[in-house]
Amino acid sequence: MSHLGNTHSSLNVNSLRDLARKELTNVLDSVRGKKCLVLDPNISGPLSLIAGFSLLKEHGVEKVHYLQQGPLETELKSLIYICRPQLNYMKYIAEHIAHHQKDVVSNYEYNLFFVPRRTMICERVLEEAGITIGEYHLDLIPFEDDLLSLELDNTFKELYLDGDYTSIYYAARALMKLQTKFGLIPRVIGKGDCAKHLADMLLRMRKEVAVDDPSSTLSVSQNVDSLIILDRSVDLISPLCTQLTYEGLIDEVFGIRASHVEVDSAIVGPASQKSAPAAATSTSNAASTTSQPSTPAKKKKIPLNSSDRLFVQLRDMNFAVVGGVLNRVARRINENYEERHQAKTVMQIREFINKLGGLQSEHQSLRTHTGIAEEIMAYTVTPEFNKALEVQQNLVAGIEINLQNEHIEEMINRQVPILQVLRLLCLLSLVNGGLKQKSLEFFKKEILQTYGFEHLQTLLNLERLNMFVKQGSASSKFNYVRKHLQLIVDEVDEQSPQDISYVYSGYAPLSVRLIQCVTKGGLTPISNPVGANAAANPIGTGGAAKGIVGWKGHEEALKMLPGKTFDEVQKLDDGAIHSKKFAQGQQPRVTLIFFLGGCTYTEISAIRFMAQQDEGQREYVIATTQIVNGNSLLSSVMQKMDNLGHSAGGNF
Amino acid sequence: MAPHPTTDWNQLQDRFYRKQEIYAMLWKQLDLSKFMIAGAPYGGPIAMIRDDKKVILLQKQQPVKPTIYLYTSAGKLMEQLQWDKGRIVAMGWSESEKLVVVLEDGTIRLYDINGEYTQLSLVKEAKEYSVIDCQIWGTGLVALTGNFKLIVLTNFEEPRPHLMADPGLNEPPHSWTVIPPQYTLSRHVEVLLATGSTILTVDTKESQDQLLQQGPFTKMAVSPNGKFLALFTSDGKLWVVSTDFQKNLSEFATKSQVPPQQLIWCGTDSVVLYWDKIVLMVGPFGDYIKYSYDDAIYLIPEIDGVRVISSDKCEFLQKVPNVTEEIFKIGSTAPAAMLFDALDHFERRSPKADENIRSIRAELAEAVDACTEAAGHEFSQYWQRNLLKAAAFGKAFLESYNADNFVDMCQTLRVLNAVRYYEIGIPITYTQYTRLTPDVLIDRLINRHHHLLALRICEFLKMRTDRVLIHWACAKIKKSTDDEETICHMIVEKLINKPGLSYAEIANTAYKVGQPKLATRLLDYEPRAADQVPLLMSMQEDELALIKAIESGDTDLVYLVMLHLKRKLPLPEFFRIINNKPMACNLFEVYCKQQDLKLLADFYYQDDRCVESANITILESYKQKDLNERTNKLKIALKSYQDDKEHAFEAKAVDENIRLLQVQAQFEKEMNQQLVGLPLNETVHKCITTNNPNKANKLKSDFKIPDKRFWWIKLKALVEMRDWPELERLSKSKKSPIGYEPFVEECIKAIQHKEAIKYITKCDPAVRPGLFIKIGDFKAAGQEALALKDIQLLREIQSKCTDQIIAQELDAYIAQLSSK
Repeated sequence: MSHLGNTHSSLNVNSLRDLARKELTNVLDSVRGKKCLVLDPNISGPLSLIAGFSLLKEHGVEKVHYLQQGPLETELKSLIYICRPQLNYMKYIAEHIAHHQKDVVSNYEYNLFFVPRRTMICERVLEEAGITIGEYHLDLIPFEDDLLSLELDNTFKELYLDGDYTSIYYAARALMKLQTKFGLIPRVIGKGDCAKHLADMLLRMRKEVAVDDPSSTLSVSQNVDSLIILDRSVDLISPLCTQLTYEGLIDEVFGIRASHVEVDSAIVGPASQKSAPAAATSTSNAASTTSQPSTPAKKKKIPLNSSDRLFVQLRDMNFAVVGGVLNRVARRINENYEERHQAKTVMQIREFINKLGGLQSEHQSLRTHTGIAEEIMAYTVTPEFNKALEVQQNLVAGIEINLQNEHIEEMINRQVPILQVLRLLCLLSLVNGGLKQKSLEFFKKEILQTYGFEHLQTLLNLERLNMFVKQGSASSKFNYVRKHLQLIVDEVDEQSPQDISYVYSGYAPLSVRLIQCVTKGGLTPISNPVGANAAANPIGTGGAAKGIVGWKGHEEALKMLPGKTFDEVQKLDDGAIHSKKFAQGQQPRVTLIFFLGGCTYTEISAIRFMAQQDEGQREYVIATTQIVNGNSLLSSVMQKMDNLGHSAGGNF
Repeated sequence: MAPHPTTDWNQLQDRFYRKQEIYAMLWKQLDLSKFMIAGAPYGGPIAMIRDDKKVILLQKQQPVKPTIYLYTSAGKLMEQLQWDKGRIVAMGWSESEKLVVVLEDGTIRLYDINGEYTQLSLVKEAKEYSVIDCQIWGTGLVALTGNFKLIVLTNFEEPRPHLMADPGLNEPPHSWTVIPPQYTLSRHVEVLLATGSTILTVDTKESQDQLLQQGPFTKMAVSPNGKFLALFTSDGKLWVVSTDFQKNLSEFATKSQVPPQQLIWCGTDSVVLYWDKIVLMVGPFGDYIKYSYDDAIYLIPEIDGVRVISSDKCEFLQKVPNVTEEIFKIGSTAPAAMLFDALDHFERRSPKADENIRSIRAELAEAVDACTEAAGHEFSQYWQRNLLKAAAFGKAFLESYNADNFVDMCQTLRVLNAVRYYEIGIPITYTQYTRLTPDVLIDRLINRHHHLLALRICEFLKMRTDRVLIHWACAKIKKSTDDEETICHMIVEKLINKPGLSYAEIANTAYKVGQPKLATRLLDYEPRAADQVPLLMSMQEDELALIKAIESGDTDLVYLVMLHLKRKLPLPEFFRIINNKPMACNLFEVYCKQQDLKLLADFYYQDDRCVESANITILESYKQKDLNERTNKLKIALKSYQDDKEHAFEAKAVDENIRLLQVQAQFEKEMNQQLVGLPLNETVHKCITTNNPNKANKLKSDFKIPDKRFWWIKLKALVEMRDWPELERLSKSKKSPIGYEPFVEECIKAIQHKEAIKYITKCDPAVRPGLFIKIGDFKAAGQEALALKDIQLLREIQSKCTDQIIAQELDAYIAQLSSK
């Protein structure tokens, strides 16, 4: 299953990477001579997608440190800090400087570059520290041709719990930058209060852009005809479900950061240096030079991106079929190796040798993914996993809800990790529109007594987020949405899926269904006896429905979901031009999808599946504030226990 | 018809120089010799003040008080400034056309063309010993103090004056000059001082003697490109060397012992010397041209020539540009000359036109280019027109000629002619214009308040008109005496159809001239919320500033305003302002959570947000090491929760938490175990594993632990202790609320299959086979399956079974079932 960007992408996302790389070299070159780079740990991952260590070295970086508490020891006198504008980082830097000044001959030169921009609030902390401050405008980082991420770690908590809209501002600036590069996006459609906020800000910034850069008058984009902004708060159900695609499960089991996964080196077998793609060498190099104490258990960082052809094939598949594919690939590679016996003439031997390199790297990739898949398999066969999955699937399908309460209670009694329990409890609350007072209080008490009273704050936070609440008077709105948008598909063919619901083995992510509504006006034809006339359905994929449809026909369902709904048209002053341009264009149109508050790998897979169905007609490019899963979403709003001097929560 | 261009040409060896009259001066017969003068390059203005060292006949109409006059190049008075400060040491012009006036006491004033000034001062040294001389260039200056030290100021915008290396002089230098930083190797300013018979090169680090013997040098000048140095020796010799003193370029004996009043460069290849009423231009090979004047004159160096200001006219002296020479030189047969000639023939209907064109067919394109360029170098519109005509004529014979140059030149000439018009008085040449750029020219025009012309030029050249309009509006506000209503109306009317135009600067001007109301009104038109904020803050419009910052969506800006307000206002007032603004409150809370919990508590308290207060208090309680402190904090939180009906559960939970902590503390003493802070489940677990079942039971009843959970805790604890008898006792104590499967599972986890079997038999028959399989007892599994009469299951068991004997038994079972 190849994803859309690989063969032909109408939107040249790579130019963004080039831009970011160029700016990075400018940042590095702004300081002369040899220098020491001090990186925000959260930025080093994304940065490795922009530039390898060799590039840093070419521009005079001798050493890389992580920005953390405690003194910074280095012989290099020129320091470049690159970090997010966060107050705690400013304190660390101030500490570094204070520490250096104790020396008699402290002639260090400090340079600080904020990502993506400087803020007054941070500069104030360093006011008199004698530090040169600049900006590194790294915003949307291209992960793949169809995937961009702002890599802002905590947007979900900031937006919906704290009401801190900084990330909306950053998102708006990044989208404006995108529009200045690729043209004005004529239609902005979306759902959710924060999404609306972002859309409004975009419309306003467009007016302002004329002031900022007098020479640029935005022209309408040649190929991007729509921007869909989805607020995470609109669909909290999907991320809470266990992701069942290969990449999704890797994220659930190991956790993926900046498209790299860290696993025990034993799992993936001995590394052959040749096969490791360029990015891996660069990052491992960068890591080895950092002052970070190396972890005793040998961990290996594995890049997960489209340069690994096998991974491209596997990433969006339901995990159920991954084993089979690995098997087939193994057989094929073996056959290819066998070819050497058939090679008789010198010519044939040379031909084989030429293929050998590719074969070996393929082999290594196979070994890696077999190792990972085995590890995931071991996890998915445990009764705990299956029990949780069953409860979760019954909940989203609305089957025997009350019975699920008992199952969750038992899980608490078994003291499974709190995140797992909260995921299910939040699901329970979300699909039912809340819990009955009695059972709500029962579960709250169970959690506090089992996992610690500190979680009182966690529960209050979840209540504030509307994720774990008392049932309102109205009956579950989700029932209507589920039915209207056909979120549950009973027959799923994981081998050759017909519908996006394959990513959760039967549940179609609400968020992506909404996107389908907007782009097609309806759902894809699914192998469903009721939808037998789907092929004849004029709003299905079959027809040449090229334009964006919008929310029409789904108003009722949208009312059931939280947040405002909007559909704005961005017009040029001379509106005539753009209709003409679009009429001639034969190439597929592009929809940009922006997830505010993060999206999951399964949602990405589902959208790629849509893209495949719409091949030649519509392409999708996904932009997100960050990539999340149920665990990262919930742990960001959990009461942090680090400073409490003991470990709270269940012990297994 | 205008006189032929060559009439004002003079030959100097192999090249020609021309001196063209540009303006007849508008001023009334000034005796320039009595003034201290500074002329700005690029056809800029001329500043003059009566030189107090020179005797002057006091006339009635002249004011007694010294005055600085600012004239255009055409001698039109732009501004006069009453001079009431001390003695002026030097005057000069900066790049941004500001008049730099240096005073004896080291004060520096920068006047713009409208007489507004900013003031800087040099280091203490200057004040103590006073400044005796000063050299000014486009962006900075070097001052020479009374104790012969040098002070450099490299950037007027960011003045950081500092001392240069000590040249060690004991007497004033014979002459001196500076090489601006952009022309030196080190990119730092260098000073050349003539002392004794030599020259010292001084920069910030060191002073270097060039060890020359030809001195003393009484006058010196650096060429416009910084490469050459012209020196005048006391015995009347003009000597040109490279500025690094490595190359000797030319020598010329003037036979005058008196040093010239002015020694300047004309372009980069000839030097102009001026003695009273005599101008001598010396070429690189010792040839010279002499011009005589009736009155005193003043020379202003330009990058491509010299502007000669005399009492009645303004002239421009330059080397005739190559293309011009090519076309107009008598007897020239260059293609461009042929083309120009062809046009002449064509207009006279002479067939020679065709002949001419034919003869230069191959070089016609270059000829057209040359004519186009030559048009640019002409001041006379007659010749501009003729040259362009010739270019257009030649162009017609070319099939694929890119006419961009031609069109650009036509446009440029329109602009040049417009600004050269004597009322405007900027005699800028084409070369200067391309160096200066149209943008800067527009700036200069608006500084002179020629807004309409600037606007027209912008529109003509398709440039943004914003800054012209903004400057116009600001000027209007400064000048106007009308009421705010009229001014506002007038400005908005003119600017309203310019979307995206920034009003912030206009509003700022209004505020500065003391029209805050007008400022507020204008600011409303500013499209960018972010730009409104700083002004609103300085206008004390605190709340409005906060609202606009929120509107901009830029959270950092919101912080900026909030922190400003917090510093400025008493706390209650600050809280009042942010209270009804959710976004401000949210950001404030986020900030406080990281920086200042105490402040946050105050904030919640004043707003009666008891639940949030309680949350904070609880957060604080975790930080308390001491148990009493901790419970006290929790009690405060409890109180707050109790105040809110909606939070009965939280109140109960906190109450429970307090009780738990107390019990834990008590048990801790009794059991000698660390318990405080553990979750309840773990506490119970610890009680059991340390053989305190009564304590565990007490906790169960005190905290109403449900049976199910309690059994689970016990089960896990007992398995952990491997206390199998006790576990069995538990299982038999009463019917297990959690069933017996968990018992089996936990035993299997502890790899106690024997123990597990005990409990399998207690389980539901349906699950027994599966459990037996788990512990590998296929025989028992088979028996159970037989009891269930489940063939399918039996087959499954058989397939898993590895033991041959048991497998046979299983076969028998299957046969038994299938026979029925």
